Amino acid sequence: MGSVVEVNPLSRVEGHGTLRVYLEGRHVERVELCLTESPRLFEALLLGRSFAEVPDIICRICSLCSTVHKVTALLAVEEALKLPVSRTTRLTRELILHGGQLQSHALHLYCLLLPDLLEVKGVADLARQAPELLKAGLALKQVGNQIQEELGGRLIHPVNITLGGVGRRASRDTLYRLRDGIESVLPICTDTVQLFRQGFPFPPLSAPHYLAVQTGESAFSGRALTLESLPGIPVAGYREAISEWPVEHSHAKSARVRGLVPTVGALARLNLAPPAGGPVGELFKEVGGAVTGQDLRGNALAQALELYQSALAARDLVEELLEYDPADTGSPPVLTPAAGSGSAACEAPRGVLIHGYSFDASGLCRAADVITPTSLNQLALEENLLALAHGMEGAEPAVLVAALERLVRCFDPCISCAVHLVQL
Amino acid sequence: MKKPSLAIAGLTACSGCQLTLFNCEDELREILERFEVAYFPMGQSDPDPKRHYDVALVEGAVSTPGDLSALFHFRNASRLLIAFGTCALHGGIAAQKNRSTPRPALLREVYGDRAPQLESFPPAPFKNFVSVDAAITGCPPEKGDLLRLLGAVLAGTLPAFPSYPVCLECRSRENLCLLLERNQLCLGPVIQGGCNARCPATGIPCEGCRGPVEEANVAQELELLLTRGFSREEIERRMSRFTVEWDYGQRS
Repeated sequence: MGSVVEVNPLSRVEGHGTLRVYLEGRHVERVELCLTESPRLFEALLLGRSFAEVPDIICRICSLCSTVHKVTALLAVEEALKLPVSRTTRLTRELILHGGQLQSHALHLYCLLLPDLLEVKGVADLARQAPELLKAGLALKQVGNQIQEELGGRLIHPVNITLGGVGRRASRDTLYRLRDGIESVLPICTDTVQLFRQGFPFPPLSAPHYLAVQTGESAFSGRALTLESLPGIPVAGYREAISEWPVEHSHAKSARVRGLVPTVGALARLNLAPPAGGPVGELFKEVGGAVTGQDLRGNALAQALELYQSALAARDLVEELLEYDPADTGSPPVLTPAAGSGSAACEAPRGVLIHGYSFDASGLCRAADVITPTSLNQLALEENLLALAHGMEGAEPAVLVAALERLVRCFDPCISCAVHLVQL
Repeated sequence: MKKPSLAIAGLTACSGCQLTLFNCEDELREILERFEVAYFPMGQSDPDPKRHYDVALVEGAVSTPGDLSALFHFRNASRLLIAFGTCALHGGIAAQKNRSTPRPALLREVYGDRAPQLESFPPAPFKNFVSVDAAITGCPPEKGDLLRLLGAVLAGTLPAFPSYPVCLECRSRENLCLLLERNQLCLGPVIQGGCNARCPATGIPCEGCRGPVEEANVAQELELLLTRGFSREEIERRMSRFTVEWDYGQRS
């Protein structure tokens, strides 16, 4: 007789989800991941709002990625309105995105994932049983947050980064403080890489199709997407390459890119653009075998490497900002409404994030579209859950379910982001 | 003394209030030591949904039957229910079109033909359904407010939060007045302070994320903004971003 094992709520992930495994005796019939977050309706909330309001509203889609949602929205609106931005503004955004990545990866690795490695139930157990490790992880997270607060004006939903500029440029004192903070955690970054070299102790998963933004001048944003070795996908034409559809048992949507099931995030980024040179390049030579060409089991190590990469890049950016032109204050321009459409893609901590908007002549939003990393990963996650369940067939249901939940955590899903749909 | 048991949960929200707890990096370990974390799915596995809590910090607006039953559960199971953040207290960002667009139209816009299958109603604050013992406002909430509340609970009391507008702190910081001197649509006069005027201090007008201050002179703010050349439509659009239930005729 068939039975269903359910994990509700999924724990140590952002947002609300349920995992169901349908069993026929010990045989796994099917695995269902339901993103049960309430409908958020952000695209509909934006319609009729002014172009200037769009970035402030859309960043509330998710707290963990609010900075990158805000920057992606700014870039898309700036493209629609053809607004230029100064070097100070570009560098400030780049630095705050590194801050966001540091805080998000450190939260995921040390508060959500580490309990699995140490076989405890969560962050409260860590505080009792591994206080020094938790303290180190929180110190790293705090430096990311310090960058976000100093440059963004507050920790979540940053206000100081705005259309065409910054409200107030970071002072020299602020930059010195940030540099000291970053330098103090560099040793923790290398320890983190060693800590997360411990693999995921389960059978191999399906081979991923890596998808990432082609970055260049910026480490986060770019004009095209790379899907394995296929020709680049221009961000402006993303709708033609990405097909999305609603999922029956979920409030999120699934996506394919050029017909393939994509995997986005740290693992995809480090596979498509492996770190070369410098301290991270050296470390990658030593540990990169567990990332290159690997399935999702390598994602935590990839995030750990990116933590180190972001800390070093942030330190360099602070130096650049210390030397910039004092005349370039980054003051935002006077904004005038105009008709136009724009789209932008950024690497969020969890992978490719795309925003697209259209405005009418009075600057009011007439179309809004957001594609999040978690919806791009959804199909790969479901495929991998089934592959893992089949690979572990015969295991005790409790053991099987624990492994599946741990796999969900490897993807680092952001469920409140994923829960929205667009009209296709 | 027995540690107070703590539940932390979210309804329709961005998890930002729960993240604010994680963002107390210096204090988090002590919080986890001094409370018994009984329910906190975002940070701890195997929550026990059947027990009693001394304090429940719940974020988010109520917009689905599932949200509502979770809210009733936390109300019934908790000695103190705390509305955690602007969504829980005022409806927040998700409720901004409650007065202007019917829910089915919003759902259709996003979910197309699947819309009728979704159980979703206009997002509402906790106070529409249950009594709330205390609240922390803000989108995101201030870390200091959360720590003050947790500290007060440990001492067997609840904190008194200020009831003055953003302008009071803004003026004492000697910021340029964006409303009067820059002619910007700043909501500081009618919005709850306690944020130390973070946004105006960086030159960005107050967007109202902390909700209405007690006895706000809403009508006066409206008149002032109208005389400054903003349209009624634009003002209402901005004011409804975090709180949709304004009484535009209210004078304190």
